[in-house]
Amino acid sequence: MKVLLQRSHWPLWIILLLIILALILPTILPWTYDQVDWDAVRAPAFSGTHIFGTDEIGRDRLARLAAGTRVTLMVAIAAALVSLFVGIAWGATAGWVGGKVDEAMMRFVDALYALPFMFIVILLMVIFGRSILLVFIGIGLIEWLTMARVVRGQVMALKQRPFILAAEAAGTPSLRIILTHILPNIAGVALAYLMLTVPQVVMVESFLSFLGLGVQEPLTSLGILVKEGADDMDMTPLGLFLPGGLLVVILVCLTVEGERLRDIYS
Amino acid sequence: MSLYEIRNMAIEIDGKRLVEGVNINVEQGQCTAIIGASGSGKSLSCLTPFGLTPGKLSGSVILDGIDLVRADAVQRRTARSRSTGFIFQQPLTALTPHLTIGAQLREAAAQAGPSVLSKYQLIEKLERVGLSRPDERLDQFPHRLSGGERQRVMIAAAIAHHPKLLIADEPTSALDANLRGEIMELLDELRREQGLAMLLVSHDLASVEGHADHLIVMDQGRVMESGPTAQLIANPQQDYTKRLIAATPRLDEPAPDLPAVGDIQMETKAATISFPRPGWRRGKINAVTAACLHVHKGEGLAIVGSSGSGKSTLGRAIAGIGPLTSGSINWQDKALPEHRARTLAMRALIQPVFQDPVASLDPQWKVHDIVAEPLKSLRPEIGRTEREEMVLKVLDDVGLGEAYLDRSPKSLSGGQAQRVAIARAIIAGPQLLVLDEATSALDPLVGASILELLVNLRKANALSIIFITHDIAIARRLCHRIAVLEEGHIVEMGDMESVINNPQALATKKMIAAS
Amino acid sequence: MTAVPTLLAIIVASFFLMRVAPGGPFDGERPLSPETQAALQIAYGLDKPLWEQAWLYLSRLAQGDFGPSLVYRDFTVTELVAQGLPLSLMLGGLAIILALFVGISVGLFAAVKAGKTADKAMMIMATVATALPTFVTGPALALFFGLWLGLLPVSGAGEGLSWLLMPVVALALPVSGAIAKLTRAGLATVLKQDHIRTARARGLPEIKILFKHGLRPALVPVASYLGPAAASLLTGAVVVETVFGLPGLGRYFVQGALNRDYPLVLGVVTLYAALIILFNLFSDLIYGWLDPRMREE
Repeated sequence: MKVLLQRSHWPLWIILLLIILALILPTILPWTYDQVDWDAVRAPAFSGTHIFGTDEIGRDRLARLAAGTRVTLMVAIAAALVSLFVGIAWGATAGWVGGKVDEAMMRFVDALYALPFMFIVILLMVIFGRSILLVFIGIGLIEWLTMARVVRGQVMALKQRPFILAAEAAGTPSLRIILTHILPNIAGVALAYLMLTVPQVVMVESFLSFLGLGVQEPLTSLGILVKEGADDMDMTPLGLFLPGGLLVVILVCLTVEGERLRDIYS
Repeated sequence: MSLYEIRNMAIEIDGKRLVEGVNINVEQGQCTAIIGASGSGKSLSCLTPFGLTPGKLSGSVILDGIDLVRADAVQRRTARSRSTGFIFQQPLTALTPHLTIGAQLREAAAQAGPSVLSKYQLIEKLERVGLSRPDERLDQFPHRLSGGERQRVMIAAAIAHHPKLLIADEPTSALDANLRGEIMELLDELRREQGLAMLLVSHDLASVEGHADHLIVMDQGRVMESGPTAQLIANPQQDYTKRLIAATPRLDEPAPDLPAVGDIQMETKAATISFPRPGWRRGKINAVTAACLHVHKGEGLAIVGSSGSGKSTLGRAIAGIGPLTSGSINWQDKALPEHRARTLAMRALIQPVFQDPVASLDPQWKVHDIVAEPLKSLRPEIGRTEREEMVLKVLDDVGLGEAYLDRSPKSLSGGQAQRVAIARAIIAGPQLLVLDEATSALDPLVGASILELLVNLRKANALSIIFITHDIAIARRLCHRIAVLEEGHIVEMGDMESVINNPQALATKKMIAAS
Repeated sequence: MTAVPTLLAIIVASFFLMRVAPGGPFDGERPLSPETQAALQIAYGLDKPLWEQAWLYLSRLAQGDFGPSLVYRDFTVTELVAQGLPLSLMLGGLAIILALFVGISVGLFAAVKAGKTADKAMMIMATVATALPTFVTGPALALFFGLWLGLLPVSGAGEGLSWLLMPVVALALPVSGAIAKLTRAGLATVLKQDHIRTARARGLPEIKILFKHGLRPALVPVASYLGPAAASLLTGAVVVETVFGLPGLGRYFVQGALNRDYPLVLGVVTLYAALIILFNLFSDLIYGWLDPRMREE
């Protein structure tokens, strides 16, 4: 953990700062994200108590940004964690058991990989109605595949390492070998891919919300804010640039941090 | 004046001086060999003058009248392409994967200037290096060829433009023992035939002494000693050279003093190990077929074979860390169940040690926990304090002290890591050690010290040893008997001395010739 | 060769998923009379047993008939798809060509300048480009070049080709960033390999080493990225067509999804799946060319 305090991990600090802001701002701002200020429709930045101004129906931009970031990151982290657990369970099982079981499990992953997942998620949304839970499930369905492949590859490689064979010769039971030898050795890589999964999920969630198929009003997310901003951009370009810029900053930071961790651990 | 002359050369990388005061002479038609452990700067000294490493050069390096130290990048490139040919250690990766053998040979021939070779001439070149069916090879990609075949292609490419100097960096180290002799002989022939000068680099004194006219011994970036081969080996002056010669096992050295042996302890009866074919295809491949061998108490048995002969697979089955398809492995007439079915008490009898010492230790664990791991499962009755004492004692036995308890594997050298691995193997009091190429990955001096440690441990603990290796000369220092494995079959078995003096199987003869 | 069964499985699974879904296309704002409902059900064959509907659907599909659209009453899905597909294919095709060209060039350039400022700048740009979602760049481009500078048309497929520029650029940006990073990383790995040293030992000029011995194996990761890239372009196209008001497949898909037009959504998903699977096969072929070792499989 101490490593994360080094200067090269600045992207992580930015993300943490944004999370803290997204959590604190709604409690100290005078406006909530869905409150309409009838006196200030499309107010410019720094007018009165609206630091970033208001949107086309008079809602405070900063409050909406904080709320949107919160929802987007929440969905992203939760879905990434789901993909982490499913991916590790699937990948570690396939890698450890090996043989035909591994073959079958990985063929399944390969087949799923070839699917146009985004469209199937949309299909699910169409069929079962749009709920934030479904957004989770849909995204989780897509994102565990890479994690499973990576973990399986790592376990396969580790299994051949002599120290695992030595542990077996030392009479250490299989489950304990997995817990004390295998998992600690794949933790770094898994963490890196977890970090890389989060921006993927952010992208998917925002995409769905942008099309009106993801998070539904009155809840808001960065994707919805971008959509609203794009619809009104000829009047107030700030409405597009703020959520769009924030989204890009989040994506860049997560990607850079994830790739750095991946390069360290693999 | 020599063809290639290095005077007082020093090499720096990132401001660190890695090689200093090196003098090398290579005469036309002769072979000079540089011998040294890893990190001795031997490869660096060979490749840096030609701009093939990031090192910075000083001193004087004169190839055929051109000073390479003062040369610019273009001149160095010309020196590489016109006058020199190179052979590297890893034939598996040294050829470009997406170009055919013919294309690469053509490129090599054209490197010294425009030359368009007919298909017939290309075939001739491949024939000269002893490649079978050369006409088919031209259109093949490198991955279709075996390691030995690829190294022959590398040699053909290295001399295709008629260079004056051939630089061979560990040309046989990655090859199977039985191929090494053939490749070295081919190089000798070509050298005589074309009047080539050759600079040979190796970590293995035994593999070059019959081929080099001059020897240069390097250690830690300095030349320790140099001179004509026969003279240097017969009468070494420096302490390092003496130790190196003593550490290099030779088949003509006097037979070692081996301890007396007891009754039969472990026996395999028609042990067969097969693996399913990869993919969905049906059928199986036999890695080991009906292997019958036995080990007496206190005895050393060498299982010798080239890579892919099934020797490691057999060793793993005996140690209970790999499958056994049919047949049985007995311990004093009681059958040992295979692989995961083996009970803890039975596991405690046989312990393995592996080739790669660094990969043998979990990088996340401390030395203390690594060594204590077998005790926790195999001897659960032992309490914490006693366990600590045992770990300390066994570390002491393998020549490491208390200071190593909290070290992590990353901070250990290869020899230290192998000592930790041996400590882990003997802590639970086994009676048989299965050593799988336990000294092959180590530098000669370190390997010899590990071998010595094993001799002492055997004496102190009445251990039996199965020594899996490709090198008969090393095995001879430790083992009473030998079993030669080829493609999963035991083709010869018997007393070490009689097999060496009178080998029957072709595989054995080849392996002895290569030692 | 799992392509055909995979495709079939998708179609069948999607078909049944749709039919178990609550609600239907006729739940409009004005509730229809039971008679009208029943008549519509019969007209569209929704009264038959499910397996029969599925079989009917599959056998029609084999003849290229995706069935009628439930929302665009006067059109069959095949007609809608035939209208939208050419434009989407053109968008996607141009975007992947642009992305490959820009990505590989930038990656190569950065690899040649490895460690220098130019390399670092290029890689920062590539990282940012990968993180640019089309639904942000699309509107932003439209705002800059369309509304503010007035250089390019903001909406619709007009005369000439200038209307294609912004959609294609918005689509290609993230993909080209990813390709640049993959090319750069691939070259960095390959240039350290032994066969490059062999080529260098032959005294070949660096540029020849790069192109003849280094580039092909370095592009293997790019080839394996082509499948995901195709998927990402298709999803991106959905956004771009919506943002720039282009009558492509993606727009029909979104409309269909929002209106619960089952046959339309199913038709488009099937087509997308087929395209992506086709692209994966194509990328396998490129694989074999880049690295002959992969041909054996």
